[in-house]
Amino acid sequence: MKQRSLVFFIIAATVLAAACGKSDADLQKAVSAKLASDNVSGVSVAVNGGVAMLSGEVADITVKTKAEASAKSVDGIKSVDASRITTKPLPTPVPAPADPMLQGKVDEMLKKAGCTGAIAKVEAGTVTLTGTVPEAKFAECIKVVNESGAGKLNNQLQKGK
Amino acid sequence: MSLQEKYQTILELANQNGTSYELSEGDGVLHITGNAPSEEAKQQLWDEYNRIDPDYRAGDLMLDINVGGAAAGGGGGHTYTVVAGDNLTKIGAKYGIPWQQIYEANRDILNDPDKIFPGQELKIPGA
Repeated sequence: MKQRSLVFFIIAATVLAAACGKSDADLQKAVSAKLASDNVSGVSVAVNGGVAMLSGEVADITVKTKAEASAKSVDGIKSVDASRITTKPLPTPVPAPADPMLQGKVDEMLKKAGCTGAIAKVEAGTVTLTGTVPEAKFAECIKVVNESGAGKLNNQLQKGK
Repeated sequence: MSLQEKYQTILELANQNGTSYELSEGDGVLHITGNAPSEEAKQQLWDEYNRIDPDYRAGDLMLDINVGGAAAGGGGGHTYTVVAGDNLTKIGAKYGIPWQQIYEANRDILNDPDKIFPGQELKIPGA
């Protein structure tokens, strides 16, 4: 009789454990493994009551989003708190070329792209674009300035016909 | 909202289509400097930029994407096409560099600094 109740107890305990799902420690391992297999680095995880708390410093915002999605996809994770993942401070951009050089370059590139009608004025690394170009050319003219090495674009270019 | 968040979808597209990129930020402008595997991949990023900021007026993003291996950023090579009436001094002044630098960078096609011809493509060092 005693043995019977022991067997019953063991069965009951097993059923109960299965119903509760995996332990936080198991989940923590599962999330860590999932992050590693998804090539997310720099993120550590703690699990409390099925809630995954992610923390760490990542290269950029896309890694944070990826980490969050990876953790969420693990079976047994109820929710994910990624608020303690920070993104690395970004370096400052490569300084723009000296104004006369940048002016020459932007003028040349605009000309090459057929952006007649666009007027570029360079001041302290910022390109101010004015004038009017055909609508079909608009995006191309903006692209050119983005690729000139300028620090900033003040876009006042108008679309015409 | 940080600039990274604002333009996050561009970065995600870059990750998907094989564009490698680097980020920098200064003076309220996010710089995405990268290398796309194809013109189509580059265009995808520009299409996304266009979706976020249809007329590119915000002035808080510089999207500098090269296609295929070329050095990214403003430090790469730049060429100037000679037009009638040009001379090296004049071209140098345009870029704020001495004519000798242009001559030296183009010794493969120039034998005499006084002899340049319309249509010649000159490499502009540092531009």
